[in-house]
Amino acid sequence: MSKPLSVLEEKRKEAKSRLEKNGYFSDTKIYVGMATCEIAAGSVPVMEVFQNELKNEKNIYISQKGCAGRCNLEPTVEIYQKDKEPVKYIQVTPEKAREIIKKHIKSGKIITEWVGK
Amino acid sequence: MEKQLFTDKFSYVFGDQKFFKKQKRIALKNCGLIDPENIDDYIYAGGYTALAKVLTEMTPEDVVKTVKDSGLRGRGGAGFPTGIKWEATAKQQNDEKFVVCNADEGDPGAFMDRSIIEGDPHSIVEGMAIGAYAVGASKGVVYLRAEYPLAIKRLQKAIEDARKENLLGNNILESNFSFDMEIRLGAGAFVCGEETALMNSIEGKRGMPRTRPPFPAVSGLFAKPTLLNNVETWANISSIIINGAEWFSSIGVDKSKGTKVFALAGKITNTGLAEIPMGMTLREIIYEVGGGIPNGKKFKAVQTGGPSGGCLTESMLDTKIDYESLTKAGSIMGSGGMIIIDETACMVNIAKFFLEFTQSESCGKCVPCREGIKRMLEILTRITDGEGKTGDIEKLEELGNMIKKASLCGLGQSAPNPVLSTIKNFRQEYEEHVEQKMCRSLVCEKLLTYTINDKCIGCSACRRACPAGAIAGLPKEPHTIHQELCIKCGKCYRSCKFHAIDKTSVAKEQK
Ligand SMILES: Cc1cc2nc3c(=O)[nH]c(=O)nc-3n(C[C@H](O)[C@H](O)[C@H](O)COP(=O)(O)O)c2cc1C
Repeated sequence: MSKPLSVLEEKRKEAKSRLEKNGYFSDTKIYVGMATCEIAAGSVPVMEVFQNELKNEKNIYISQKGCAGRCNLEPTVEIYQKDKEPVKYIQVTPEKAREIIKKHIKSGKIITEWVGK
Repeated sequence: MEKQLFTDKFSYVFGDQKFFKKQKRIALKNCGLIDPENIDDYIYAGGYTALAKVLTEMTPEDVVKTVKDSGLRGRGGAGFPTGIKWEATAKQQNDEKFVVCNADEGDPGAFMDRSIIEGDPHSIVEGMAIGAYAVGASKGVVYLRAEYPLAIKRLQKAIEDARKENLLGNNILESNFSFDMEIRLGAGAFVCGEETALMNSIEGKRGMPRTRPPFPAVSGLFAKPTLLNNVETWANISSIIINGAEWFSSIGVDKSKGTKVFALAGKITNTGLAEIPMGMTLREIIYEVGGGIPNGKKFKAVQTGGPSGGCLTESMLDTKIDYESLTKAGSIMGSGGMIIIDETACMVNIAKFFLEFTQSESCGKCVPCREGIKRMLEILTRITDGEGKTGDIEKLEELGNMIKKASLCGLGQSAPNPVLSTIKNFRQEYEEHVEQKMCRSLVCEKLLTYTINDKCIGCSACRRACPAGAIAGLPKEPHTIHQELCIKCGKCYRSCKFHAIDKTSVAKEQK
C-alpha cells in the first residue's frame, strides 16, 4: 500500500495542474474579500466589477478570499503582480474598482491614496 | 513547498505593519490568503500534509502525545488542556466514538470562529480528521449556528470536496483509517454552546445542560466517548503536527502556549480580528495592534470573555494575556471577545447589558440561574432608573456569589461576573447611582436633567419636539423646561441646533 504522504503528494501535483489550468499562476492576481463581514461592507458588487470588466483578459486570475481581520477597512482587495510587492486597497467601492482596473491593472500606476498602510 | 512564515507573509501581503507586526498567525494562517471554496488552493498551500503525516508516520499515541506536549488549551472559553482531553477519550474502550467541533459561537460581539470557517474551512476538516485518528473515532459532527449561512455553505463544500479527494471517507489516502463528518445546525441559543447542552441538541433533545461528570470523553454524544473542541482549537492542530510540539510550546508563556484570536470591538481604532501570541499585554493589543482609542477619548475599561467575563481597568493594562493572569486580574480569557470601553460609557449600564443577555439566554433548568439572574437584573434596572436603595450593591454581590456557586452549568456560574467585576473595579459609580441618583457618564436616562442655557434663541424646536409638553416659552424668547413634567426622553436635546440645552447629572440630596 502506498503511503498517505506520497498519495497526498500526487494530489498536490494534480491540484497544482488544475490551478494552472484555471490561471492561478497568472502575472496578475486579484483577491477580493468575500467573508460575511466583507460582503456586508459591500464586496459583492466590487467582485462583479472585476469579473465583468476583466473577463476577456488572459493573464489575470481573480479569486475570493476570507477575512484578514481588518473590519474597519473593508472591503479589501489585494493585487499581486509578478515581481512586484502586493498592494492592498481598502474600502473599495465599484467606482474605485473601475479606477483600479484602469490605472493599476492596465497602466501599472498604483493609486496610493486608496492603499492601506 | 514554500516556507510559510505566516505573520511575515501577512505583513508582506497586507502592508499594515502596525496591525500585523505584533500578531502571530497560526489559527488564522490561511484566512485572507487563500480561496476558501477551492480545495486545490488549500492543498497547494500545504493543506492536508498534517493529516497525511499522522497517517504515514505517527501512531494515535504519538499524536496525543504531541498535542499534550504542545501545551495547547481549549480556545472555547474554559482553557482545559486539549491533550488531556484527547488522552482521556483515546483511553476509552468503545466500538464507537465521536469527535465534535463546537462552532456555536454565542458570545455577543465574537466572530473568531465564523472567520476561521469562512476563511479556511479545510483547516477544521483536517484538524478533526487528525483528532479522530488520535482517539479512534470514525464520525465527526460540527455544531454550527444557523445564523452563519456563509460558513455553513463553505464548510459543507469543504466536506464534499474532501470526500471527493478521499481526504474523508473510507481508507483515507489509502490508509486503514476511515472517517467522515457532517454539519448539524444550532438554532442560536447561547446555552447550546455549553458542551452537554450542545450534545443534547445534536441528539434532538432540548438544548439543556446536564451535570458533569460523566464528562463527554467518557459519555458524550449518544452516550459514546466524545472528543469535543472549539473551532479555534481544531484550527491549531495541523500546524502543531507539522511544526512539532516544541515549536508550539516555544510561543507564549508558562501555562498558556501558542496564540489567541481576539475580536476587537467597541471604542478602538482598528476594530477587527487579531491573533496574538499569549503573554502580550492588554496595553500592547489595545494601543499597538488596536491603534488605541479613537476621537481623543480616554480609556476606561476593557471587557474580555463576553457575558462570562469581567471588566479590567487602566491600572491593569499591563496584565499579560494568558489564562492565569487574566483570571487573577478578575476577568477571563474567554473565547476571544474583547470590548474596549471609553470614558463615555456607564459601567453599571454595561453590566446591565450583559446581564440582560444571560437572563434571556438562561435555559431555566436550575433555580439559581433562572431566578437569581432575574433578581439581579431587577436590582440593576432599579439602580439605573434612579430607584436604587441602600444595600442594593451588597445584595448584588451576595446574590452573584450564590449564583456562581450553585448553578448547574457555566452559564449561571459565570453570568454574575460582569456585575461583580464592575462592582469591584468601579464601585464608586454604583454608589453614585444608588446614593446620589447620578450617572457621571450621562448614560442612564432617568438620572439626567435637561436645562436650557442662555444660548437659546427661542426657535421653539425643542418645544415642538417635547412629547410631554414640558417646555414653555414664547417665540424668539428663551425657553424653559419644567422639570416636574420632563420625562427625560432627550428629544429636546437632539432637536436643538444651538447647543442651548444642557444634559447633566448631578448628585441629588438624600431623601
Ligand atoms: C453558556 C456557555 C456557552 C458556551 N459557548 C461556547 C461556544 O459558543 N463555543 C465554544 O467553543 N465553547 C463554548 N462553551 C464552552 C464549551 O462548553 C466547551 O468548554 C468548549 O467548547 C470545549 O472546547 P475547547 O476545550 O476546545 O475550548 C460555552 C460554555 C458555556 C457554559
